[in-house]
Amino acid sequence: MKGIPTVLITVSPEVSAQMRPPRALYPNGFKIGNSLGKPGMRELQRTVLRDALSLLTLETRPGSVVTKDYPDYGEYHEPPRVRK
Amino acid sequence: MSISRKCVPFTPFEDTLAKSTIAIVTAGGVHRKDQEPFNIADELGDLGYRVFTDDVNASDLKVTHHHYDHSDADKDINVVFPIDVLRDLQREGFIRNIALKHVGYMGYTMQLKAMYEGTAREIANEIDKGSRADAVVLTGG
Repeated sequence: MKGIPTVLITVSPEVSAQMRPPRALYPNGFKIGNSLGKPGMRELQRTVLRDALSLLTLETRPGSVVTKDYPDYGEYHEPPRVRK
Repeated sequence: MSISRKCVPFTPFEDTLAKSTIAIVTAGGVHRKDQEPFNIADELGDLGYRVFTDDVNASDLKVTHHHYDHSDADKDINVVFPIDVLRDLQREGFIRNIALKHVGYMGYTMQLKAMYEGTAREIANEIDKGSRADAVVLTGG
């Protein structure tokens, strides 16, 4: 196996960052259980998925999590923090 | 081959999305309703995973996971397993194809070593063999 490129969509960015994912997107303020957005918000879900897939083609820093804002989501949920 | 946990296992993506086949792997406890549910009674977690083919219907999927609120996924599985969203992106030409195989597992375990060295590898092999995926989207809950 030569390896398979991956991109993670995470709603627990600090927790995910501990695992140093090759590429990761954090939709800012999305709650756990809403990785792509809320039920039925297909346009928002498409935007999030396009953005995540696009990270495959961008020069991101491996191991880091990219945060993006999606105002259409309409809420902000504090993500879980990692105890340091 | 063992991978150091200190390094980032980065595999370059050398193609364009419009020519690529994409698979989804979710830790959100997603499985087909006719597949065995994840064992949420075991406090150590369930190390198993379930494979779905590219023709899976969103309405045939459900979540068995007791470590996050999946009430929204119960209404629309795409919020954690975006299979219909991926189909939309294929239709609009953003990606070329949907992979032949996708995977759901329960992203909660007290058996980290078994998950990391066992389940994770098995899932990677599952995708590597016969899914035709060029890249994978990973989701949690």
